Amino acid sequence: MHRRNFGRLLAAMGFALAAATAMTPAPAIAQDAKTITGGFDVGPGGFPGNFNPLTATAGFTWLSTYYEPLVIYSADLSQIEGALASEHTISEDSLTYTFNLVEATWHDGEPFTSADVKFTLELAKNADSGSLFAARLADIASIETPDERTVVVTLSQPNSAFLSVLAQVMMLPEHALADIHVAEIAQNDWWSTEPVGTGPFRFVQYVSDQYVELAAFEDYREGRPKVDRLINRYFANPAAAVAALKAGEIQFTFAEPDDAKTFEGNDAFRVIEGDSFVVNYIGFNHRSGLWDDVRVRQAVMHAIDREGIVASLFGGAAKLANCGYVVPQFVPEGIEPYAYDPEKARTLLEEAGWAEINGDAPISWLTYYNTPQVANVMAAIQAMLAQVGINVVPRALDTPGYNGIVRGENWQDFPLVYAGLQNGPNPASLNVGLNAAQLPPAGNNIMRVEMPDLTAALDGAMAETDPVAAEAKWQEVCRVMNAELPWGPMWVASRYGVVSSDLVDFVWTPAPGGGPFAAHPEDWDIAQ
Amino acid sequence: MTAVSQPIARARSAGPIRRAISRFMGNRAAVAGLAILVPILIATVTYDFWWPYKPNDIDLLAMNKGPSPTHWLGSDGVGRDVMARLLQGGRTSLLVATVSMVISTAIGFFVGAIAGFTGRLVDGVAMRFVDLAMTLPPVIFLLVLASIAGTGVLPTIFVISLLSWPVLSRMVRARLLELRERDFVVASRGMGAGLWHLLFRHGLPNTIDILVVFATLQVANGILLEAGLSFLGLGVTPPEASWGNMLNSARSTLVLENYPWQWMFPGAALILTVLAINFVGDGLRDAFDPRAELN
Amino acid sequence: MLHYILRRSAVGLLMLLALTVLIFGMLRLAPGDPIDAYINPSVPMSASDLGALRVRLGLDQPLPVQYFAWLGAAVTGDFGYSIQRGGEPVLPLVLGRIGPTILLMFSGLLIATVAGIAAGIISAVRRNQPTDVGLSVLAFVGISSPAFLTALLGLYIFAVMLRWAPAGGMLTPGAPFSLTDLLAHLILPASLLAIGHGALIMRYMRSSLLEVLSQDYVRTARAKGVTEFWVIVKHAVRNALLPVITLIGSTIGIAIGGAIFIESIFDWPGMGLLMVNAVLRRDYPVIMCATLLTGACVIIVNLLTDIAYAAVDPRIKVA
Repeated sequence: MHRRNFGRLLAAMGFALAAATAMTPAPAIAQDAKTITGGFDVGPGGFPGNFNPLTATAGFTWLSTYYEPLVIYSADLSQIEGALASEHTISEDSLTYTFNLVEATWHDGEPFTSADVKFTLELAKNADSGSLFAARLADIASIETPDERTVVVTLSQPNSAFLSVLAQVMMLPEHALADIHVAEIAQNDWWSTEPVGTGPFRFVQYVSDQYVELAAFEDYREGRPKVDRLINRYFANPAAAVAALKAGEIQFTFAEPDDAKTFEGNDAFRVIEGDSFVVNYIGFNHRSGLWDDVRVRQAVMHAIDREGIVASLFGGAAKLANCGYVVPQFVPEGIEPYAYDPEKARTLLEEAGWAEINGDAPISWLTYYNTPQVANVMAAIQAMLAQVGINVVPRALDTPGYNGIVRGENWQDFPLVYAGLQNGPNPASLNVGLNAAQLPPAGNNIMRVEMPDLTAALDGAMAETDPVAAEAKWQEVCRVMNAELPWGPMWVASRYGVVSSDLVDFVWTPAPGGGPFAAHPEDWDIAQ
Repeated sequence: MTAVSQPIARARSAGPIRRAISRFMGNRAAVAGLAILVPILIATVTYDFWWPYKPNDIDLLAMNKGPSPTHWLGSDGVGRDVMARLLQGGRTSLLVATVSMVISTAIGFFVGAIAGFTGRLVDGVAMRFVDLAMTLPPVIFLLVLASIAGTGVLPTIFVISLLSWPVLSRMVRARLLELRERDFVVASRGMGAGLWHLLFRHGLPNTIDILVVFATLQVANGILLEAGLSFLGLGVTPPEASWGNMLNSARSTLVLENYPWQWMFPGAALILTVLAINFVGDGLRDAFDPRAELN
Repeated sequence: MLHYILRRSAVGLLMLLALTVLIFGMLRLAPGDPIDAYINPSVPMSASDLGALRVRLGLDQPLPVQYFAWLGAAVTGDFGYSIQRGGEPVLPLVLGRIGPTILLMFSGLLIATVAGIAAGIISAVRRNQPTDVGLSVLAFVGISSPAFLTALLGLYIFAVMLRWAPAGGMLTPGAPFSLTDLLAHLILPASLLAIGHGALIMRYMRSSLLEVLSQDYVRTARAKGVTEFWVIVKHAVRNALLPVITLIGSTIGIAIGGAIFIESIFDWPGMGLLMVNAVLRRDYPVIMCATLLTGACVIIVNLLTDIAYAAVDPRIKVA
């Protein structure tokens, strides 16, 4: 009896083993193929499991290895350059954009033409397709294709952000997708089984939640890629990716600042440090009734030893922000530096009558950052604020939970947040979080900032399409932010990637949302 | 008749307990467990009287320092004293574990006992309820509770209590089902004894061994659950100290490799405490088990 | 008896239904929906950009309407599409995790059973000698260690420092499938998983064997001059295994839920990892389907236990 039970148990295990074996596809690829394996979707710029570029909010670093946009940011994110459009011209009135297309072929051998561009832009503009670009491309009035190599896009009003939006719209093949009904397109398995792009690598397979495998596209217009295969391995968290990197199983991953430090002085790896283009701030909920007095907001700024925190907890790898920007051309001379001065903070609080406003009642302080570094930073700030009599209690949530709360209307649930907002490469990114016209649900002004001076400054800067004149306008935005403190701006921190020294000509930068940027994956190589 | 049988029952129930205690004291592992547990308890409860540092005092000039005469167990990533956080963390972890033990033991006993003593309908409904509670995937349960109630000590107690009681109520019910058909219970039911009488006169004495052992092991279990929850970011959140969220720092490779004192000491404290409680629980189990004397 | 089984099965179905209502309600009570999971708070994108998607997914409907829409489709076997995975159908996704999870759990149980029983026998035979004390203390440490800590340390020591085993995953990405590759990835998480179970099995085996060894028939066998080795192997161990098998059996029911900590630390593509990720992204079609599956397993195991109880103990009237 017992023995038979035991035998059944063994049989069940044998069956399980066989089942797992049978369920795993076996790709037949030579072992000596040059392969780069990386954690390309690890960290804030990644979006594992997303294959549809029209529904991507991040993950563009990886998507741009097999798809390509018309135009793309340069690798240092300083300017927009051509990708599938070799050149583009903008009319005097900033309404007509003419794109000249390169000669390229899709991975399945079909030629890439202006019809594909028209198809893609119309699909991206159509919300029925599930596209997240619909609102941002709403200004497109018409798309014309005078010939196979030319596309003319006309806007209904000038839009200084149009090209930077286009840089994220990956071109899709009309011949493969036109037959699928628009409403079905987002749920079609084409994206994860047989997608076709024009990029240097072509799709091979996706093994659910484990990895995505690409192979070199032999006919890539810039020449065949130097490596044969590119593999994107999925990780549950950055620490697991770092472990795999140290174990030599992958050659690249994003790394948390703490983890990146462990590679210092190790010749087998190269640490890439880059600007996050995200300004971190302490967000005051302007509807909570706690922060109406500007002196209270100033007191928060003076109470925090930002220099000390950057020097110790960031190891110096962050730039102090006194408005939404840290890039020199957007920061005017003579703005208030909000130096660490707890005495002044106490005086300001006393003048504002903090004891009556809130006193020492606990104030919930939300964040969606779940990293050890931010936990330490918030603990330090909590202690500093406590010294001047502001009692904040940090609370870390997951992203959907945070979004769900801050998009709601229960002001007491989020009187204070620690968050970040993209402030570059296009400075207009901040508009969505600060303009009074961008209050939820329309926009992303979650802290309900309604400051007429700031809105006017932002509107002025947004409407300016001349780059030189725009700089002065953005400086004005900075000046207003610095004086009125819609948020308590903190710093712009660096982000890190770690790459094996075996990789040659590998280009990566911690671009917001993963870019895309001109990384030229066809040039990446691995030393044998 | 009841007047006569009661004193006898009392005399009988005092006997086994006294014998259990003497058996327990004869178990070396259990006594060793107590010897470890008591100093830990005293230290965590009294530390603010004799330890100079506070658990949440930061010192950005003394970050990540190893053990030294000033900071016996070193300092953490924001220069907080690890010893102070360890003791405060122990207080939090033990508080969470103990309170949730009391709650889950109470719920488990009442549901199990009511199901065991009352009619088939109540039994069926109660047991299906238990099944339902056991079927709930813990991750979802934790996440939802944490998001609704917020993370922190109270929600963690709540979650652990609600996760743990179903096992106990199944055990209590199984024991009382046998009892229900016994003569003395049938008799007192027949004489119209109320539910409370049944629960406390017959239910409690007859399940006290299960309850004591469950309660002890539940404290150990609660400490482990708290640590697991905090590891997933759903338990006691920093800067409040608990052993679980101190251990969470080992997730960072930098801490794991270079600052071992930040996770080794809470890890050791946790394992040692749970170990001691398990020793005690095992000793209690043997002490209540009449067959133990045969060995 | 048949009547009883039928009735309990019907109750089981009702419970599954109650479970789906409960999970659906709880999920949607928590702040944040799948669309909120799409928005990276630091990227300038507003909810209105995602408004059309919300409408398309029916997330703007009242909760009961959403629930019945889900239920109606689920009854016909249509569990919908994963919201966070570019429209992967849910059912194959969830079913695909059963294989890896069962593989991991059963390998872990196998290691735990073999090691636990062996250690239990040695401990019982060498009762109160240094070997027994050492093994018992070790087992207690195993029971007392948090699973995530042993997993973290195991990963760091054996995969990163010593490089004896790969650092997570189930197969080497892109390599052709081979059994050795699978086993290489399996051995470390399965062994770490076995620590807790093995320690428990060892404790049960030890006490069960000690009890059997004091029984009359063992004494008889000894008296008949059977050597001590054969007494233990032939007579005692076989009989001592019964409670141990019951213990192992009781773990099988919950095994399908996967091991959350081990799976997430080792990126093992099983049910636990699927569930944690789905919850963090509020991917409710996946959560509902996975819950239904694990719930059904637990209910069936409970049903079988109760039937066994009823069959064994005639005093518990069932009809």
